Amino acid sequence: MTDNHKACPHLSRRDFLKSSAFLGSTSFLATTLAGAERSYANAVKSEDGTYPLIQPENILYSACLQCTVACSIKVKLIDGVAVKIDGNPYSTMTLAKNIPYATKPHDAVTIDGKLCPKGQAGIQHAYDPYRLRRVLKRKGPRGSNEWEVIPFDQAITEVVEGGKLFSHIGEDTDIPGLKDIIILKDATVAKAMKDDVDKIRKKEMTVAEFKEKHKNNLHYLIDPNHPDKGPKNNQFLYQVGRIHNGRKEFTQRWVKDSMGSVNWIEKTTLCGQTSNKSWTFSTMGYTSGKWGGGGHKSPRPDHWNNEFLLVFGTIIFEAAYGPVQQSEPITEGINSGRLKIAVVDPRMTKVASKAWKWLPVKPGTDGAFALAMIRWMLENDRYDKKYLANATKAAANADGELGYSNATYLVKIVDGDRAEKHLRASEIGIGTEEQFVVMQNGQPVAVTPEDKVDAIEGELFADTEIEGIKVKSPLQIIKEEAFSKTLEQWSEVTGIEVKDIIEVTKEFTSYGRKAGVEFYRGPIKHTNGWYNAHALIILNFLVGNPDWKGGTSKPGGGWNYMGANAGQPYDFKKLHPNKVNNFGIPITREGWNYEESTLFEGYPAKRPWYPFSGNVAQETWASANDEYPYGIKAALISSHTPMYSIPGGQAQLKTLLDPKKVPLLISCDIIVGDTSQYSDYIFPDITYLERWATPGAGHHDRVKNSQIRQPVIEPLTETVEVFGEKMPASLEALMMAIAEKLNSSGFGKDAFGQGMDLVRMEDYYLKNVANVTFDKGLNMPEDVQDDEMKLFRESRRHLTPAIFDEEKWKKALKPEEWKKVVYALNRGGRFESHEETYDGETIKKRLGGMSRLYLEEVATTRHAVSGKYFYGYPIYQTVLDSMGKEVNDKREFKLITFKEVWGTQSRTISNYWSQVSIMPENGVLMNSIDAQKLGIKNGDMVQIQSASNPEGIHLLDLGKSRPVIGKAKVVEGIRPGVVGISTHFGHWGYGSNDIVVDGAIIKGEAKRGAGVHPNPLFRLDDNLRGTTLSEPIGGSASFYDTEVTIIPL
Amino acid sequence: MSSKSDEQKMDRRSLIKAGVTVGSGVLLASAIKTSTSVADVVGGKSTQIKDLPKGMADDEFSRMQTELLKALAKPETENHWIMVIDQRKCVGCISCTVACKAENALPPGAVYRPVIEHEIGTFPNVRRSFLPRPCMHCENPPCVSVCPVNATYKRPDGIVSINYERCIGCRYCLNACPYGARQFDWGEYYTENTPEIQPYEKVANYEYGIGRVREKGNSPIGNARKCHFCVHRIKKGMLPTCVTTCMGRATYFGDLNDKKSLVHELIGSARVMRLKEELGTKPSVYYLV
Repeated sequence: MTDNHKACPHLSRRDFLKSSAFLGSTSFLATTLAGAERSYANAVKSEDGTYPLIQPENILYSACLQCTVACSIKVKLIDGVAVKIDGNPYSTMTLAKNIPYATKPHDAVTIDGKLCPKGQAGIQHAYDPYRLRRVLKRKGPRGSNEWEVIPFDQAITEVVEGGKLFSHIGEDTDIPGLKDIIILKDATVAKAMKDDVDKIRKKEMTVAEFKEKHKNNLHYLIDPNHPDKGPKNNQFLYQVGRIHNGRKEFTQRWVKDSMGSVNWIEKTTLCGQTSNKSWTFSTMGYTSGKWGGGGHKSPRPDHWNNEFLLVFGTIIFEAAYGPVQQSEPITEGINSGRLKIAVVDPRMTKVASKAWKWLPVKPGTDGAFALAMIRWMLENDRYDKKYLANATKAAANADGELGYSNATYLVKIVDGDRAEKHLRASEIGIGTEEQFVVMQNGQPVAVTPEDKVDAIEGELFADTEIEGIKVKSPLQIIKEEAFSKTLEQWSEVTGIEVKDIIEVTKEFTSYGRKAGVEFYRGPIKHTNGWYNAHALIILNFLVGNPDWKGGTSKPGGGWNYMGANAGQPYDFKKLHPNKVNNFGIPITREGWNYEESTLFEGYPAKRPWYPFSGNVAQETWASANDEYPYGIKAALISSHTPMYSIPGGQAQLKTLLDPKKVPLLISCDIIVGDTSQYSDYIFPDITYLERWATPGAGHHDRVKNSQIRQPVIEPLTETVEVFGEKMPASLEALMMAIAEKLNSSGFGKDAFGQGMDLVRMEDYYLKNVANVTFDKGLNMPEDVQDDEMKLFRESRRHLTPAIFDEEKWKKALKPEEWKKVVYALNRGGRFESHEETYDGETIKKRLGGMSRLYLEEVATTRHAVSGKYFYGYPIYQTVLDSMGKEVNDKREFKLITFKEVWGTQSRTISNYWSQVSIMPENGVLMNSIDAQKLGIKNGDMVQIQSASNPEGIHLLDLGKSRPVIGKAKVVEGIRPGVVGISTHFGHWGYGSNDIVVDGAIIKGEAKRGAGVHPNPLFRLDDNLRGTTLSEPIGGSASFYDTEVTIIPL
Repeated sequence: MSSKSDEQKMDRRSLIKAGVTVGSGVLLASAIKTSTSVADVVGGKSTQIKDLPKGMADDEFSRMQTELLKALAKPETENHWIMVIDQRKCVGCISCTVACKAENALPPGAVYRPVIEHEIGTFPNVRRSFLPRPCMHCENPPCVSVCPVNATYKRPDGIVSINYERCIGCRYCLNACPYGARQFDWGEYYTENTPEIQPYEKVANYEYGIGRVREKGNSPIGNARKCHFCVHRIKKGMLPTCVTTCMGRATYFGDLNDKKSLVHELIGSARVMRLKEELGTKPSVYYLV
């Protein structure tokens, strides 16, 4: 044997000493792996032709989290170190024609699936040299970035007990501990109060009656005069960013059911929330007199069989919800000549570069573009009348259609011209109050949507009066909106020539049901985003494409991980004895109508309410500041960086830094991040390669996929002890330790029920896996044989008992489940075959129901601030603030933001292989025409200013700021008058800055701060004291309504 | 391994030393003479190759996998590996670039397979185009003839390879390559100016089928480096990583000597071209434009 590699196969001593020197006496960034030297010493004993990455014991399957799509991944390790990540061939997410699920992992080693560059670089997310290993406590004022390392247990005691936690640095404030906030722990009392608050909400009980009934327990409430503000527990806020199924419920169990706070708030309104909500409402069913159920948040075109794809502002090869799934069928279609694409986007995106036509629309006019299309379609008789006319299920069945619509369900017109509720059959004496009415041969007919007997077709265009009630059909109402402007006028609004509008619409209506409209974030991150979304959804309905091959349908979804289905082993709803019912209005006032609360006192409300949305991230800090509906006392932030990602986030920095507004601020983060740096305490978290989850399938999977995220590398954080068990410091450990200290329900011994403990992470997550394993359907995992069981152990040989202990894992389950669960773990999930996609000419996983062109519940709801009614149909609206006032700053440029394919908002700056190497800094994208006007050359530095930030300044803490300056990137591929800035640069934390830990300076990497971050520029709402403009129905924060001025430097 | 000759055992430092001392071409000549007989560390060896999983679907991707196994069943001298890149299908995601960096443990600054982006036209008639540019594995590789120690050479299967043990790091080849496909390993780490060099930079990598830890003074640090079509994967029955990870399925790989292969079919396209054909380098990488 020739030793070709004279390399010293271990981490050199020098490197260790170097890091120690950097770190002084602290070990907050401890050595990477226990026994690292041993590992490396063993690493190299290769023979010629060796390739250990195809040895099955060096491979573990899991799920990505470099973006939210959660692609299935295949992680390859050398001596416990992850070195390469590829796509998992078992899953259609990462191998279009996936390998059979029954394939033994030993036989799958040579097949790698596809993955995007973010996924490929994921190793560098986990092995970030700035990873936080131990708990940091601030040693100066918030934002000073002076820290001390404290033991985990001490940190838990401090945040639970409170007190004068910072007296040693001269702060005399008495800080409330969690024990002082989480005071309602009696499940019976909580349940009784919750039920009565529900009654107050329905006006079935008065506040006085409530106070009398609960007079002994009023001290639990934030405000006894407003019981609907809920218990004081609600003054604990948990704000979370990108979290996935499984971990989501784990944290909800803790926040909502154990801590009893209603305030579990995700970051989704920064993302595609309005798209999700708009789709959900537009596909909702109607049963027993109520809308609800059956709505789908992400129907998407079937790219494998589309013939015409009209893309609005979603960068489907770069971001959106699944470049890995979307690229292949689209490039195949373009190449084979099957597919033609048009892209409506102010910027020449990568997908636009493949398009037959690029339509560089003015930002925020997507809905106007759609209305122009609708006008032309109606004028030229190019829409699917049959599909739209079918008013009942029976009518659809009779025509061989898969769905039907409410296009003909009459709507009452009130106050002159306001479209309000659907007319009910009872109102004109032809049926019940649960029935709608359509016109048929000039006569009103009662309709039950789900009716399987009466095949009723309605008149598409009705405009009449019945028994004194003025009514119109939804299609009539939409037609009037579409015809409110001529094509020339729509062209003026959108900036797209009439001939292009016509040409695109002609194409769109030339492929029957094999045409589709796709959008996600682009059209909706505007104040008019809801209406844009509804208009684009309706375009799909007008060609009747739902559920047809080549049309639009829902994703395949995954198996139920929460055990709600019959036959599943762990129904989590039943596995929380003494659960504390949370109740009250969330701090974001989501899911509540202003008018149904005791806080109603006419218009304008102090802040907006979001009855149709949830997780309204931009509202949390501003509401805490306004103490509306109440102030908060403690907050925990994890996987989220509001100062980086909430538009205009810096406007809330003073709230974060103010101990009066946020007395206790805790973060759980993998790093000292752009926001966690402002905290009182930072607890270390583990990354997606070290933790559990059961994320759902992506938007573009047509078959059922349940990926399992599981620990694939040894966690880098310190090992702590909770409930007598060793585990890595992590969000889970933090929550469990607090639960232990507070002695709250749902965690610890017998937490799931008699004899079922929750003392280790896998006690929870393996039950999710078991539910996936045993849910009914195809490809149910089987018992593994000995060879697979052996592989299961060997491939985890690098994990310490704190994270992998076979006996303890087994104990989380029933003995008979174990071998089947291992089967799923060995494959990284449970996956259907690609062959389950179609059934003849239809898609198997169907929307299968109502297509809603009109949303009466939206039309009957008012904006809490402006007091104006919303519209139940798509309209074109300019940029409006919360008072309904037009925002027009008369600045030269509209600002848009976007993501590069290798970047995910705030968390890819540690990815040296991709983001850092490919584009060391971003720029300010502008058209050469504009650049010339301003005398700017490519590469010149420019400062950017906006109405909300007239100086162009980024506030870093109360005393420190920097100008918003970037390099001009002069291109042709952007509409003149628009500038674009990508959103993954310009960090001021996350390893970019120097910090002091235990007196030693940890030098940051300047390159992580390179480039420009547009966040400080976003337009704020003039009425809301530092909150971004927002779309009021779906709740989206506006990202593309800001006007800016560019100052050459 | 008995097949190793003494020549191969001579590492590049002793080679340089010997060259300096002797100062004549004799030793180098002998090195040249032997280097072709010292088969590439991966090449020439018959290692057991895994069959494909049963029940794989019939699409272009699995067809390439199948054809790869078929080609490997032949003697290496009967293979001629080529790559076909369909620009119409390349979405410019640079996943190949990154996968390649990970697969081959490339240091900062080194890229085997960049994706070159151009913007063409003026507003509103404008396009972005993407051109992945691996090593062309030329039939007449200009990099080979300039190598003073014959460390770089054309393998019988068409791959232009580097013998790290022989490479003296003179970088003549970097200048000679008309495609800029050659890189130099200066010995840097991505995380060297941070609190801690990370483990993924210090574990063994298996380029050319040999486990090497990138450590100062040892290969591949101080060597010229380049795309080798992931020969360590090919020999195990795996497609190059740029092929497997390609989201747009724009990159094809296979044996030109198999007339029934997908790649053979593809280069019959009217859209086919090669880069800098006028130089007479005869690349083994074809583009469909």
